[in-house]
Parts: sequence; structure tokens; C-alpha cells
Amino acid sequence: MSVNRVLFDPPGPRGRRRIRIIATIVVVMAMGLVALALQRFAASGQLAPGRWQPFTHWPYLRFLWEGLRGTLGATAVAALFSFPLGAGVAVLRLSRNPTLRRLAAGYVELFRSLPLLLLIFAFLLALPPLGLNLPIFWKLVVPIVMVNVAVLAEVFRAGIRALDRGQFEAAAAIGLTHWQSMRIVVLPQAIRMMAPALVAQLVSLLKDSTLGYVVSYPELMKQANSLTVYTHLLVQTFLIVACIYVAINLLLSQLAHWLERRSQRRPRAARPVPARADVQVDAQAPTPQLVH
Amino acid sequence: MSQHIARYGLLRRTSILAVASAVSVALVGCGSSSAAVAPAATAPTVSSSEYNAIIAAAPVADTSAITRGSWMESVKTRGHLQVGGSDAAQLFSLKDLETGELKGFDAGLSQMLARYITGKTDVLSLTKLTTVTVDTRETLLQNGTVDAVFATYTITPARAKKVAFAGAYYESGDAILVKKNNTSIKEVADLKGKNVATESNSTAALSLKKYAPQARLQLFQTDAECVAAVQQGRADAYVLDQGILISDASNNPAVKVVGQPFTKEPYGIGLPLNKPEAKAFVNTWLKKIYADGSWNKLWKATIGTVVSGDAPAPPTIGSADGS
Amino acid sequence: MNIVLSHFGDLLGGFWVTIELTLLGFAGSVVLGTILAVCRVVPITPLRVIGASYVEFFRNIPLLTLMFLFIFGLPDIGITYSLFASAAICLALSGAAFTCEAIRSGINTVPVGQAEAARAIGLTFTQSLRCVILPQAFRSMVQPLVNVFIGVALSSSLAAAVAVNDLTNRTQQLNLEYAEAVAAFLVAGALYLVLSLGGAGAGAWFERRLAIQR
Repeated sequence: MSVNRVLFDPPGPRGRRRIRIIATIVVVMAMGLVALALQRFAASGQLAPGRWQPFTHWPYLRFLWEGLRGTLGATAVAALFSFPLGAGVAVLRLSRNPTLRRLAAGYVELFRSLPLLLLIFAFLLALPPLGLNLPIFWKLVVPIVMVNVAVLAEVFRAGIRALDRGQFEAAAAIGLTHWQSMRIVVLPQAIRMMAPALVAQLVSLLKDSTLGYVVSYPELMKQANSLTVYTHLLVQTFLIVACIYVAINLLLSQLAHWLERRSQRRPRAARPVPARADVQVDAQAPTPQLVH
Repeated sequence: MSQHIARYGLLRRTSILAVASAVSVALVGCGSSSAAVAPAATAPTVSSSEYNAIIAAAPVADTSAITRGSWMESVKTRGHLQVGGSDAAQLFSLKDLETGELKGFDAGLSQMLARYITGKTDVLSLTKLTTVTVDTRETLLQNGTVDAVFATYTITPARAKKVAFAGAYYESGDAILVKKNNTSIKEVADLKGKNVATESNSTAALSLKKYAPQARLQLFQTDAECVAAVQQGRADAYVLDQGILISDASNNPAVKVVGQPFTKEPYGIGLPLNKPEAKAFVNTWLKKIYADGSWNKLWKATIGTVVSGDAPAPPTIGSADGS
Repeated sequence: MNIVLSHFGDLLGGFWVTIELTLLGFAGSVVLGTILAVCRVVPITPLRVIGASYVEFFRNIPLLTLMFLFIFGLPDIGITYSLFASAAICLALSGAAFTCEAIRSGINTVPVGQAEAARAIGLTFTQSLRCVILPQAFRSMVQPLVNVFIGVALSSSLAAAVAVNDLTNRTQQLNLEYAEAVAAFLVAGALYLVLSLGGAGAGAWFERRLAIQR
């Protein structure tokens, strides 16, 4: 953080001592809190080995693993549909036809304002009497796709708008139509730029899948709920499930951070072209950054 | 700049490590036991072999009873019964995680019916389960995805317009579960003004609106949550089917069941409305297992493990309004 | 439709609970998020680590799982809050992670020269943050913070899954009793729309107020 580096001078000896004292106090307090929490936890008997033992048995783990497979499956299918459709709606929003533009804008505004749980309940309770009764898997995935298409459309639109105008003009100059320039020139670059944000949205998709238990789709939360019927061990089951979710999402987030770092080292399309034509620009060298 | 990023990456990595190690400390707990300890609190049920023996001893239909082109014949040709039910309902239909077998009162009846039609003895292959919820039961019956629904399915005239009911095969009722030291709630009238927890899609929610309209309803998604709510004092009482509550209380010394059931819930077997031969056939089978004691034995092996006393008399077939 | 209209008071009551949850959750997340952003900026390493791990953890845990743990797990440590309070606190905890990131990205949009100038005239760390950086950062923070607000408003519907009597819960109860699902859900959807669009509108108003008149 650039501002951060500038906001304070490197601390002198007194400053360093003060920092070290505060640091030690913070560490001691934090560890004290954690120890207190663990001790209270143990006092209520929740740390007893008998309560954690079941989770070393393979049948229980397999039960949870089936849930995890369900989660990953629903997330993957939802992602498969949301990303292309989101890109499509974003392109529609930037189209030159005002009707299409308004339709796309209306869709985005509507589905960014509705809660996912309400949509899922609607698909579960309101639509079947009207005749639309989808299989359980699609009762979960279709609402997730509908909501995430709206969010992704905004992400893609931000990416397209952040692209240098020169790209559009150059595409038009070589004779590509509006749609062709979108497809061949603009979208690929926008996707590359927004890759970290897209992966972050994938994390959000995975978190959305936890609503699967509402429709009784066997994803991880539902399996955890069923497991508690069998074992009556609420806390332990949910702690383990929470760790699984955090672990997977951490992996995805690290992927996003890695993509972000990579994109900052590669030459970017929005970099201004040097004025002198005979200067050989080394495409592989990292851009000299004035500010970071 | 790269040094800055590397340091940041290190911070992230150490923070992840810190969180992970804190969690693993909590997970490992204190010490480890070498002996294979059974899970701390599981519902008491009979052993698999006893349960399978009861199913295998159930009667089988004469081939003459299975008329051509009937609902029964399609089941027999297929070789198994497609059942709509649950795999996480205590006492009624719970999947044994070790063997993958469904055990319980509802599950046992469905397995006995499958044996009646197909004549097989291997319990695992008798039925195929499709999980149903309160909202999907009727649709799955109507479009033929399941042959029958065994899911603590209360018979009501409204539902009888969409599906056919065989039975009733069990009469239950809603009861009240409270904390062990609670003496103020003894019956449904005491629920006035109190916080009452129940499952969000159960008939108990509806009966509460009828019998205790002044109670403050808290809808949770699963049974374990409702029990925890009572234990933690978030709810004063938990209302649900008596059998399930007694099973909860037997596992959990901090709660108890009070009073008698205040509703009458006749459970029936859901069957397709457009196959009238199915209803007659299943009712005949029900009479058979009432008479030869299989129903009794199944009751003792499932609900009887938590409810004391002998098996009640099976309800009269066709007595419930709508069956 | 008649049933829904006759129970409209019920639905409005649920809507009011949703608004309360949203406002409390958002306020809590802004306060906590600011503290976290400061933690991530100060030169004290343990605070930075705590801030970073908090954000990573609470951004990655599904809100539903967090609520379950909070409501059913915490009483074992001795902390029991009411269902409403638990939902609001979970919303605040979860939103704080996103608010912290929004604030940090807002601070990053302030040109470095501002910070240098603040140091040059002798302002301390706190003074430069308070008087120079943060006021300018607010302008670029408005849009992300509006997104957090809408996120909190829509996530408050998850409280229905843990028996809080909010709009989604009341819609579910109406459907349970009367099977009048379509109309109820349309009305609930419209109310949520009002909430989200209201938040977006308030954000746009803020942005106009803070915009530099050039």
C-alpha cells in the first residue's frame, strides 16, 4: 500500500520499542482470548474425544464427502452457466440497440436486488403449483445462476469499460463490426483483466450453494444436517464443515491473488504506446510503475 | 515492490497457518482413545441382523394377487419398490452410515411391502429411496418417479384429493419437549405466550396455529436445531411428532417429554391416485401384517426401543378421514 | 392475492425486522470494518496478521455456516445471544470483512502525493489519516460500501433459516398456512427490491454530494 509506506517515517529506537511493546501486548491478549475460549469449550464437554471420534470413521467422512461432491458439482454447473451468460448480458448492456440495452439493464437491476433464498423458496414453493417443477438440482442451480448472471454482468461491464478506448477504435478501424470487435478484441482482454474478480465471484457461488439444504439437495450443509440427526453432534459437525468450506474458498482466493499478481507483471493492453516509433519496447519486461 | 508483495504473501501464509493450527488444536482435542468408541449419542436401535430377520419373516403375496398390468406387476417386474421418503428421520427412516441400509418404522414397512410384492429377502435390494420433502411428495407420486410414499405422511382430506392413501398404518400425535427442570409447561394450553420451536415444514407448525395460536413460533430446519434451541433456552418448548421427541429425550438427558399427544396424526402410505388397484392391494397387505404380528415386531424394533410398553393396537384401515 | 393483502401487516412487520437487521448489520460492519482497516495499516505486525486473517476467514466462510456456529456452537462457550442479535452480529462480522477491503481500496485510490504533503506539513499518522486521507477516500468508497449494504440487506434473508421472524420467514409461514405462494413471494420480492434500490439510491445521492465540482 503506497499511502501506507508514506504515512509514517521509519520508527526510531523509541518508536520501535513502543511498537514492540504493543505487539507483545496484542499477542498475549489474543492468545489469552483463544485459550479462554478453548477452555470454556472444553469445560462444556465439547472437546471430549468421544464427540470427535465419529469423524475418524470412514462412513461418516464418506457421507460428508458426498456432500462436498454435491457442493462442487452444483458450483461447477452454476459457474458453467453464469459466466458465459453474464458476459452475454454485459455485452447486451453495451449494445447500440436501446431496447436490448434497457432489457439487460432491467434484468441486472432486478436480480441484484433480490435475495437468493427468496428466489429458491419461490422455485420450491411458488412455481410448482403453477406447473414449473424442476428436479431438485435445478431448483438450486437455476436461482443461483439467475442472481450471479446479474452480478457477473456488472463485473464484465466494469472490465469492458476499464479497457482503453483505443482498443475499440482500433477494432473499428480494421473493419470489425460491433459484435465482432466485442467477441475478438474486447471480451478476451476484459476477461483477463477481471480474472481475479471473476475467481472471487466463484467463491461467492460456492457460498451460495450452501442453500442447497433448503431444497434437500445433498450438498455439504444438507449432509451435515442429516449427519446431526444420526449423531446428535451439532457443534462438531458444523465446525468441521466450516473448516472444509474455508479451506476450499481459501484455495480459490489464493488462485485469485495469484492471478492478480501475474496480471501486474505482464504487459497490459491499457499501457500507452511510446511516442517514438523506433523505440523497441521489450514486451516481456515489467511495466515501469510510477506509483504502487 | 516484489519484496513488498513477497512479505504480504508471507503474512497471508502465516495467517492461514495460524488459523489452521488453532482449528486443528481444537479438533485434536485432549488425548486420543485407542479403543473404537461408539459415537457419543446415537439413537438406540436393534442390530442389523435382528432387523433384517424381521423383514425377511414378513409375508409374501400369492402370485394370483398380482394382476396383469397393475401397479403391483410393474413393481414386481422391476424387482424393487421405488420409495419416496427420507434418510434422516429418526426412528422412521434413518440410513445406517456403516451399511447403507435404511432402518426405521417407515423404512421397515416399505421393505416389507416390497418383499410382499417381489418375494425377495435381501433387505438392501428391496427398495430404492428418493428423498422427498413436504412440497415434492405429491408431484413425485403423480409423475411416477416413486411408487409409494412412506414419509410420516399425515392423511388429510385435502391431500386425499391429490394422492390415494392406504392405511392409516400408525397413529401418532404431536407432543411437547421441554428442558428437564421446566415445570411450568405441562400441556398445550401452557404454551400460550411462550417461544415454541418446531420444524419449518411439519404439520406440527400448522397444529400449533390451531391449538396454541398465542404461542410464538420459531421455525427451524432440522430436529437437532430445535432440541438445541430448547436446551439453550432460546425456545421454551419444542413441538413435533411424539415418537421423534421421545427419541430425542432418550438421547439427551437435559430434556424431557411432557403430557400426552394433543393431536391425532394418522400416517398413511401415499399411492398414485390413478391406480386404484394399488390402494386395495396395499390395504390387504396391511391387514395381513397386522394379523400375523409383523407390524408389532417392527414397532418393537424401531419405535419400541424408545417408547416403553407394548405395541399399541394398529389403527383401523380406512378410519382416517381421506383414507 | 386477497390473503396476502389481508396479511400485509404481517409482511410489513417482517419487512421492518429485515430493515432493522440490515441497518444494525451494516452499522456494525462499518464500525468493525474501519477498525480492521486501521489494523491492517498500522506498523504493528500482530495487528496486521489478525486483520488479514480475520478478512480471509470471514470472506470465505458461508454466512449460513457462520450463523449455525454462532447460534448453536457459541452457547457451549457460554455466550448466548437471542436469535435476532445473533443474526445481526453474524451479518456485521461477515460484512466487516468486505467493508475493510472496501475501505482499503478506497484509501488506495488517494494519490500518494496527498500523504506525502500531509507528512510534509508535519501531521502525525492519525492526523493525516483523519484529516487528509480518509475524507478523500470516502468519495471512492461510496460505491463499494453501497454494494456491501445491498449484500447485507439480501443476506439478512438467511436469518429466516435460523428462525428469525424476518420478511422471508413470514412469507414462508404464510405459504405454509395458506399455500398462497405466488402472491406472497411477489410481494416479498417487491419489498426487497424497495430496500435494495433505496440503498442504491442513497448511495448515488451520497456520491453526488461528495463529488468534486470541477
